Amino acid sequence: MPARNHNQWKANPPLKGGEWIDSRIYSDPEIYEQELEDIFKKVWVPICHESELPDPYDFRTATIAREPVVVARGPDNVVRAFLNVCPHRGMMIERRPSGSFEEAAPSGNPKRMTCMFHGWQYDMKGNCVYISREKEGYQDRLCKEDTGLRRLRCEVNFGGFIWVSLDDKVMSLEDWCGDAFKCIRKPLEAEPLEIFHYHKAVIGTNYKLWHDTNSEFYHDFMHYHNRVTGFNDAYFARENTAFKHGHVNVGSFEVQYDEYEGFESRAELSFPGLPPNQWYMVDLFPGMNFNLRGSALRCDIVTPLGPDKVMIEFRGFGLKSDTPEERRTRIDHHNSIWGPFGRNLHEDLIGVAGQGSAMLPGSENRRILHGRHENNLIHDEVGMRHYYDEWGKWMNRLPSDPSQPYMPAEAAE
Amino acid sequence: MGTNGVAVGESVRDAVYRSCILLDDEKWSDWLNLCDADFEYEITAWSPEINKDMIYFSGNRDYLQSMTDMLDKHNTDHSPLRRHATVYTIDENDDGTLTVMSSLAIYQNLLDGINSHIDAGESHLFVIGRYIDKMKIEDGKAIFLERKVALDTRRLDKGSHWPL
Repeated sequence: MPARNHNQWKANPPLKGGEWIDSRIYSDPEIYEQELEDIFKKVWVPICHESELPDPYDFRTATIAREPVVVARGPDNVVRAFLNVCPHRGMMIERRPSGSFEEAAPSGNPKRMTCMFHGWQYDMKGNCVYISREKEGYQDRLCKEDTGLRRLRCEVNFGGFIWVSLDDKVMSLEDWCGDAFKCIRKPLEAEPLEIFHYHKAVIGTNYKLWHDTNSEFYHDFMHYHNRVTGFNDAYFARENTAFKHGHVNVGSFEVQYDEYEGFESRAELSFPGLPPNQWYMVDLFPGMNFNLRGSALRCDIVTPLGPDKVMIEFRGFGLKSDTPEERRTRIDHHNSIWGPFGRNLHEDLIGVAGQGSAMLPGSENRRILHGRHENNLIHDEVGMRHYYDEWGKWMNRLPSDPSQPYMPAEAAE
Repeated sequence: MGTNGVAVGESVRDAVYRSCILLDDEKWSDWLNLCDADFEYEITAWSPEINKDMIYFSGNRDYLQSMTDMLDKHNTDHSPLRRHATVYTIDENDDGTLTVMSSLAIYQNLLDGINSHIDAGESHLFVIGRYIDKMKIEDGKAIFLERKVALDTRRLDKGSHWPL
């Protein structure tokens, strides 16, 4: 067909319901606000890893759906999560990305979370333990027992990740994503993991476009590295598996790393229980990714910052028991592909930045195709179809026409 | 440093600044020709987020040559980088080699990384940090033995395929 006129361009594609979506879901400010309320405030978010706060009184801060969060390890070694907000005048209590409460803050005491503004202090369970000039100001009308922190649901699971939810009634974490983790649970839980890499990207694109890229492997045509180290019969036999709640696995195969000049096999340092040079991917709704390439684990966590802006945090992990030489090798393996100066990550980020530029808020809505069917194998776009069906349920919107209420893909044809 | 300290300092500064120009001009092989056969290169950062020293990239001279030779096979943001280095200190080590510390700011002049119609021509700060170079003087010329690019920047957005 020759290039199309406007009517032809705007026409729905000759595909079935669920095989394409409307680009407004990537750019509409109203939809974005609803996603924060109806999705990100309701799900489990893996905000960091237990190795980022190894000792009692260590803490780490994060943000979920604009809400500041702090997780702290107590003297009882339990990790707890709280809204990082002082109940007095709404000040963010802890401003650093990480650290220890063992030493006193300038306005407070050791082993306390202290709001610098007026010196209110909290213990590691979120109890308010000190209000400056409490009796003088509040007499008997308000006391420490009335002003504890907002505690949040928090669990440590699936290889030591710290999961937090803003929803007190969220389902158990195991029910939420236990099935999706089965393929890599043994390697992740055989022994403690340890973080060795952190960097972040703020990209002018919608958070779902990053998750789409992690969910579909058809874009391996973009990666010279993946073409030369994969693209054999075993690669094309990799299977996508959909799980409840919108999660997806991408099955494994043996990657030929040494086919890329300068790279080496990762067989000797494969994670425990993982066959040599295998590569599994777990994509969790609504935007978290766990990527195990033999010797190193990568985890991406998205924090949406607007309909056309997302922060992606990239973490890399090895085994806590690594010798210095083993750790160095894992880091090199991780960086060669996934580091900020590696071969693949840069290409992926250029890709989603280009999508973001072409789908700015207010731009004409387009039909984005998710219609490849290849028996659920590697270039089948079933991962995205499964994700957007789940998205439609949470949002009560039809992905192919978000002004309409959700209906199953078959009914939308 | 001995009596020829002034000459050594000039050689060192010339090598550091020449490396910036060659890297800016994407003359990767010419840059590597300023380096010893056993040259080692690292991009590092300390993360207050995870409380760790990190390595973001590393490789020897052969690896760097191989990575840069294959750039045409990769999809890359071609926005030029401009390196601004100032040599702060030159210290002689016990083995006669030199440790050279330079302050570093790298600007990016946008070309095709986002929407070129709007963004091409805009410049912004890409990364800040330091070059920590180990050098030797050979026939009056400073040769790079090691370069560590110690970044402060950890929000790296799209990153890069290029050595910094």
